[in-house]
Order: sequence, then structure tokens, then C-alpha cells
Amino acid sequence: MTLSTTEIFNKICELTEPFNHKSVTINTETTFASDLELDSLAVMDMLASIEDHYDVTVPLNILPDLETVGQVAIAIKSILDE
Amino acid sequence: MHEPTPTLDPTLPRRFADFSTLLEALDYAAGGIRGLNFYSPRGELESSITYGQVRERAVEIGRRLVHFGIERYSRVALIAETNEDFVCYFLGCQYAGLLPVPLPLPTSFGGRDGYTEQLHLQMKSCEASVAISAAYMLPLLDESTSGLNMRFVGSPDTFEAQASLSDIKKVALPKVKSDDLAYLQYSSGSTRFPHGVAVTHKSLMSNCRGIGKHGVQLRENDRVVSWLPFYHDMGLVGMLLSPITCQVTSDYLATEAFARRPMQWLKLISKNRGTMCSSPTFGYEICSRRANPTDLKGLDLSSWRIAGIGADMIRPAVLDLFEQSFKDCGFNKKAFIPTYGLAECTLAVSFAPIDSGYQVDYVSDAVLSGDVKSFEKFKVNGDAGNYREVVNCGKLLPDFEMEIRDENDIALGEREIGRICLKGDSVMVGYYMDEEATNQCLSKDGWLDTGDIGYIAEESLYIIGRIKDLIIINGKNHWPQDIEWVVEKLPELRSGDSAAISIPGANKEETPAILVQCRKRDEVDRIDLENRIKSEVQAIIGTTPTVVLVPPRSLPRTSSGKLSRVKARRQYLEGQLF
Repeated sequence: MTLSTTEIFNKICELTEPFNHKSVTINTETTFASDLELDSLAVMDMLASIEDHYDVTVPLNILPDLETVGQVAIAIKSILDE
Repeated sequence: MHEPTPTLDPTLPRRFADFSTLLEALDYAAGGIRGLNFYSPRGELESSITYGQVRERAVEIGRRLVHFGIERYSRVALIAETNEDFVCYFLGCQYAGLLPVPLPLPTSFGGRDGYTEQLHLQMKSCEASVAISAAYMLPLLDESTSGLNMRFVGSPDTFEAQASLSDIKKVALPKVKSDDLAYLQYSSGSTRFPHGVAVTHKSLMSNCRGIGKHGVQLRENDRVVSWLPFYHDMGLVGMLLSPITCQVTSDYLATEAFARRPMQWLKLISKNRGTMCSSPTFGYEICSRRANPTDLKGLDLSSWRIAGIGADMIRPAVLDLFEQSFKDCGFNKKAFIPTYGLAECTLAVSFAPIDSGYQVDYVSDAVLSGDVKSFEKFKVNGDAGNYREVVNCGKLLPDFEMEIRDENDIALGEREIGRICLKGDSVMVGYYMDEEATNQCLSKDGWLDTGDIGYIAEESLYIIGRIKDLIIINGKNHWPQDIEWVVEKLPELRSGDSAAISIPGANKEETPAILVQCRKRDEVDRIDLENRIKSEVQAIIGTTPTVVLVPPRSLPRTSSGKLSRVKARRQYLEGQLF
């Protein structure tokens, strides 16, 4: 079954919730750094839970391009589609 | 299914880095059956290579580099992944008489421009002419090398294809001497104004001997299990080059894998009976935080005898929590070994005694919060009401001489706080191609002024502050001038308007703060400025800082007009800066 980017986005929002200490309303443009104020360790912690959920590994070289929750959803989608 | 290389090697008597070069050390290790093992993020053995195989591949790479016509002593930038390619290219450069320069990998989300700019500035500062990374990293490496004069930029595969020769064995390798430089280390220092520590073979051997023979006092059944990055001195020297020069088998987990699943480190220690597994304080902290009953089940940490701690300020509360979390898994707190070191001394300077755990001294807050720059002869107070725990970092390795000096460079006595100055074979010959920076910390007669503050009590070293103004977040060093530089780029701010400092967080950990002189009165404008400062700083250090807007001309200056961060920090913590 292929998941849509929206379904992945919704799941990521759910997985991000434990890290959302400021109770920010998350949309695709929400940034991990400025909006959610996550430090680099919390980001990796969250990434681990996303990776575990989808059983994928997000390669290091794309991390610098991921600033928003929406971008992570698109990245997971393309890894799943490969 | 292959097996990892063994811990024990009855065929090869141990030698403690008593070699003249790293090459001689590898030649010796290659005669045994030990080696290096690389594990996947989920803890499966991905590859295993004996020192004999490492040497064979490194010699071949060395010959290819010579054949390719890379001039002797050229700098070769290597994006330091935790894998065989990095190790073999690092050592291949040695055989070819070139200087490898390990460079960092991305560590978190976002910050693409900051990352490529950092690589660019590092390669530019040492005039690297070759840059090698795994194929998937090449788009980032290409961006970083743009505008630089490079002979080759690519992956190991493309290099080997381009530098091929049917009879590669005929290529002669240069003679490498003990005084030759072995590599450049960029792990400390400002990212905006980088300078690489130049490490000779002689320094490296001296330091590895100190670590193996005196620091950890290697035993036959010792085995390293590490997640530390190879681009950092503690990972490169402590976890890779010391094991090679002292013939120890090592198991590696990539740093990014540890950051996501820290328990894999402990599982690997348990599975392979690791004995020497060191980390900055924050590594122990994230293990305790992520420990859960499922992971703890079946975990056996009783083999672990050297839990070295270094690279950031050592916080006893974190070590206590780690012991509480893992003592039921056999972790013995006597394994904790606080250490002191810095890249300018290759790596290690002092080690606490083995098998005794960490010890603390109690230092009065009044002494610590004073303006230590003036170096008055404070006496450390043993029983003050308000005190801070300062960890004993142990005795100097035998190759060092040390003096604690005051502001007039006069050597101080027992329990007097001053600057830590060191001399010895492990001390760097200088920053590569940067005479000015070298002269600022290294005297003509070989004394290095570390800039760190501490004191000696009963022959043991106690560190009170790392390099005066350095801000260390999650084990990563940040230079205040780099943070101030991005803040002061904002249109309404000017140079000298900000001071980046670290302040204690909820668990006494260092957290970043930036004090900014603000001329605006309007509340909306002020909030807007604060938010932009937060996101600029976040982009380079990965953490959102506390932003404090202070009145114009309120940041303290020294008599020569330079910003005094020490004073700014004290005034802020005392609530005087509003």
C-alpha cells in the first residue's frame, strides 16, 4: 500500500507531539528549529521515532535540507517510494 | 555471516606506541589478528577489517595518491564518516606523505548553508587540494569546494578509477619521519575563523603512548566500543589512532546512529564485552534519558572498566544518574575516569586514576563567580556554604610539564587558580599556516597557554572553566565570536552590540544566551528582533538561545575597549544588566 504525503504528514505530526513542548499548532511550514525550538539532540530523538515507525533510514546528506515538518514528510515519502 | 575481529591476540606482544611514526605503528599492528569493526544503526556488524587488511588497503591508496601526482605534504580533506574508507584514506595519506584533514558530517536538520560554508572555510584555510567523501555526500562537497583550487573532488570509487595503474606496486612511497606532520585537526576553534592544529608523528606517538600505557593502563582483554566522530580529536586519537598504535580491537557505531539510538552503544558494549568506552558528559546523559526497561533487559555492562569522560565540563550529577540507571546492568561507577585534554595537545593531558571513580573538590561560588581574569590568589575553600563541585581530572601524563600561571605569567602554587600552561612532546607545533594565532598561545620555548582555568591540588588537576569564553552545547564547541557575527549582521545591529555567553540551565548544563544592545523602544519591534536573533543563532548552533535585550552601551568593555564576556556574564547572572 502506498501512503500519500498527507497521510505521512499527519503521522509525523503525531510522532512530533511528544516534542512539541510549546504546544505549537503544526502545519507543513512549521520549522523544527524556530517554531518548535528543538535542539539538535531532540531532533535526532524525534527522527529516530519517525524512522522506527516507517522502518527507514534518512540519509545524513539530506538532513541539512530539512527545515520544516512538511519537508520531512516529503523526504519520507520519497524514501518509501524508492 | 562474518565475525568481528577478536579481543585477544596471543600472536602479537603488546607495544605501547613506541614507534617513530604512525606508519611504523600500523606495520606492527598488521602482524596481528586484531582490527576494526563497523556496526549499523541497528547494531548489526556491517564490516570487519584486520589491521593487516587496513595496512594493505592504505598502502595501495598511498601508491595511487603518489601515482596521481598529488604533491608531497598536500592537504587532503576527508569527510570523516565512521567507516573503513575514512580509516584507509586517512592512513593512505600517511603512506603518500600527505596531510589528511578530517572534516565534519552534518549533525542535524537544516543549516545547509552553514555546513557547506564551514567546510569551505576549513579547506580554504589549509589550502586543501583534494577532497574525498562518500558518493552520497558529493553534492554538498561540490558546493563547499566551489571557488577553491582543487586537484580532485570525488568519492573513493572515482578516485581509484582515475588513479589506476596496472602495476601499482611499482610506485615508490616517500620516507616519512617522526618530525613530519601527520594530519591537521579542526575540532577546536572558531568555525568562522578556522585554524587547524598541526600534529606531528612524534606528538601523536607520545600522546598515544601516554594514553595506552599510563592513562588507561591497557590490559590484554581490552576492547574499545565507540560512537565518537573521527573528525573530533577524542574520536580520532582516543578511539582510532590509540587503538591502532597499541594494537587494540575496536567496534564503532556511527555518531548519527548513536544520536538517534544511544542504547545501541551500550548493547554493543554488552555484546562484545567492551572495556574502554569513553564519551563527553552529554553522551552519558542521553543514555540515561533514553533507557527503557526493554533495552535494559539482558544488558551486561560488567566488562566496562574505563568510562572516560572528557571534551566538555564534567557534571557529577549526570554521572550519578547514569550509575543509578545502569548499576543493575553491572555498571560499576569506579569505571568513570575524568580526563582533561585539548586538540592543541594532540588529545589527552591528564587522566584520573583507574578503578577509583570520580572525585570532587568543593570550591566556593564566591571564588568561581569572581572575575577570574584578574587572577588574584584565591584560595579554594573546602567547606563553604555555597560551593560548586569541581571534578578531579587526575595526574598529568608523564610527557607533560605543567604550570598554573597568573596574569603576569608567574607560576602559582597549590590550590591557586590560574591559566593552565603545558609543555611536552604532545604539544602541537602550531596552527597550520597561521603564525598569528600560533604566537597568541604558543611561546618560543614551547609552552602552550591553553586558556583554560584551573588549579592543582595534591598533584591532581582540577578544571574550573574551559577556554574562557567557549560555549559548549551537547558536546559541541561554539565560539562566541561566531554567534555574535551572525547576530550583528542583522540590519539594526552593529559590530560590538552583542555578547554570546553560556548560562546554567535547569540541570546546571550550559545553555546559550546572547546579550544584545537594543536601541528600539517599541515592544513589537523588540519582539521581532528577538525572534530574528533566535532563528539566526539557532541556525548555527542547533539550539535556541536565551535572548536578552539590554540598553545601548551597557555591555562591559575592557580598558582597551574589547568586549568582556566574562564580566557581561557575571553582570547578567547577578541581574545587573537591564
